[in-house]
Amino acid sequence: MSAVAIEAVSKSFRQHLAVDNLSLQVPRGSIYGFIGPNGSGKTTTLRMIMRIFYPDAGVIRVLDEANRPRPSILDRVAYLPEERGLYKQMGVREVLRFYAELKGFRNSRADIDAWLKRMDLLAWADKKVQTLSKGMAQKVQFIATVIARPELILLDEPFSGLDPVNAETLRDAILELRRDGATIVFSTHDMSVAENLCDFIFMIYKGRKVLDGTLESIQDAYGNDTVRVHLDGTARFDDLPGVAKVTDLGRAQELRLAPEADTQEILAELMRRGRVRHFEIGRPTLHDIFVRIASPEETNHA
Amino acid sequence: MRKMFVVALREYFAAVRTKSFLVTLIIMPVLMSGSILMQWLLRDYHDTKTKRFAIVDRTAGARLYPSIESTIQHYNEHTIDPATKKPILPRFEIEQIPASASDSDAVAEQRLELSQRVHKGELFGFLDIGAEVLQPPSDATGRPKKVVRYQSNRPTNLDFPHLIEEPILFAIQELRFERERVREPMSKLRAILRPVPIEAMGLTRRNPANGAIEDASLQSRIAPVAVPIGFMLLMFMVIMMTATPMMQGVVEEKMQRIAEVLLGSVRPFDLMLGKLLGMTAVSLTITTVYLGGAYWAAQEYGFAEYIPPELLAWFVVFQSLAALMYGSLFIAVGAACTDMKETQNLMWPVMLLAMMPMFLMSSVLQEPNSVVATTFSFVPFSTPMLMILRQSVPPGVPWWQPLLGVVLVLLTTLLCVWAAGRIFRVGLLMQGKGAKLGEMLRWVFRS
Repeated sequence: MSAVAIEAVSKSFRQHLAVDNLSLQVPRGSIYGFIGPNGSGKTTTLRMIMRIFYPDAGVIRVLDEANRPRPSILDRVAYLPEERGLYKQMGVREVLRFYAELKGFRNSRADIDAWLKRMDLLAWADKKVQTLSKGMAQKVQFIATVIARPELILLDEPFSGLDPVNAETLRDAILELRRDGATIVFSTHDMSVAENLCDFIFMIYKGRKVLDGTLESIQDAYGNDTVRVHLDGTARFDDLPGVAKVTDLGRAQELRLAPEADTQEILAELMRRGRVRHFEIGRPTLHDIFVRIASPEETNHA
Repeated sequence: MRKMFVVALREYFAAVRTKSFLVTLIIMPVLMSGSILMQWLLRDYHDTKTKRFAIVDRTAGARLYPSIESTIQHYNEHTIDPATKKPILPRFEIEQIPASASDSDAVAEQRLELSQRVHKGELFGFLDIGAEVLQPPSDATGRPKKVVRYQSNRPTNLDFPHLIEEPILFAIQELRFERERVREPMSKLRAILRPVPIEAMGLTRRNPANGAIEDASLQSRIAPVAVPIGFMLLMFMVIMMTATPMMQGVVEEKMQRIAEVLLGSVRPFDLMLGKLLGMTAVSLTITTVYLGGAYWAAQEYGFAEYIPPELLAWFVVFQSLAALMYGSLFIAVGAACTDMKETQNLMWPVMLLAMMPMFLMSSVLQEPNSVVATTFSFVPFSTPMLMILRQSVPPGVPWWQPLLGVVLVLLTTLLCVWAAGRIFRVGLLMQGKGAKLGEMLRWVFRS
């Protein structure tokens, strides 16, 4: 059963088509990552799931609701907008209680304290939101999102602006929420987070779905078309036989193979040019796939 | 429904618990009564710098000048406090200017010359007494022409002309009697000619406690004016005190993306109603504080009968409706703007609506049941303030008028809330650029 079922949904703002005939099934209990360049329609999709926007065409069903949407379903869904979203003048505990009550969740005191403790914010419980650092505010906002024990959690860029320690705390929290049965959908620009955390990855580009599936299935679609090399000193990488594109990462290089390229031939050519330290044939990273789809000079994407 | 109250409660406490709310609550009446207090405190203060005036007496033989001179002399003797030897009033110096030729060119020339001396600061002003003052010619309507003038570039300071007005009048009267050969002693004539001022007072009534007839009191003169003005200013002030922060709150919610979180939990209309409810509760809190204070003061100083309980009840009704009506307008403005600066541009039409009763105040006070006053008190945006103004001026208004007013305001309020709800829904998520007035109207009427 799906936590979110999006069927042939389109949404445009004035002349601009933000989401174009999108269909997507988010299974219950999964972690679903939304990726895509800025302005590709991620936030619009999340907002449509939240009923903040209504689609021009198509249907979005959330949790087990029938065809007719009910307002009360929103109590079981939570949404963390990108950055901010807190009243600066309110105390931390106070603002959390307010958001809990807005979802119809009363007697939230114990839950709030447990979360504050877990996020290492207990000392700030009675301070005003405006006194918090950016990372702390982000954590408070995350608590505000999950405080009412939602079944479906939508997070827009939850990791942006967090230091590694806080990012880890947040990741653990997300995993635990999933263990407790919640479904989590989040958008991110951090490809390694998406690769490591998500059961499914969905990429939207110019309002259209371009990728959808597990990381493995996505990578399989591209095959073993990437070679990572590291040569001593400086060597030239232009005009290699059977190489479609070279990405210079600085100390290492990523070569994308043309169809039916011979990796042995490439290795031989590289050995002629310099001392090969590392030569690895593999599948493209999510980062690479993202860039292939979304960068303007790329034309031949899958 | 429950969520609406959650929002309303938050709004209420967010507004009431701030320090600025308490400060405003105290400061507002202080500011309002401050100017009155200032005047009262400064009533004994006078600028004691010596002032110089020129006198042109164009009567034959300049026969009025001596009376002015003696008046000033007498006045100057009292400008110094005999105990402290400090000046308490400005000394006046006068100089007599020989009258020019009587043709109008020469007169104009002389006035210009004196005006220039005033301009240079040599003189504070000058008095020009026309030659015809003993028998002033009538104008077309039969009223005597004014032939005595006081010219100055400080027209608000009239101490000097007020000082000499009566002595000049007496001197002129004396000369007129002399011309007409009236031989009666001047003291007798003056008694005959004593002016008869009319005193404006309230009504005489019977004291219900001891049955004695009581003369109109000072309160009965002030209250019929002070109470209506107080009511109306209070309503205006409370609307501004509560609606403006709420509007700023909406803008903050937009800027901080709180709106998105809220809309993820509450329907936009419920959210807006919650805010309006919270604001109305705040305005009623302020009203209670001020009205309570005013009622207590009224009891203390014998005003109580001018603030009857039913008037207070009407005030609360109109105040609540005004809060909802203006609140929804302010909320719509807030939702349409993306930062505080933009609100300034969209505020003025709303402010104009709120100010309109202020412009009409004095005319309505004078004639509370005139056609104009009655008509404007049925224009819904003016009704709360103007109706309470009319109701509180004795003898009040026909009973059906406030009822009809409430119905009209209620309908308008519903319309405003509905329209604001539509603007709110669209505007709340709009980022980047604020909307224009036309755009807001399109949001209201679109699908």
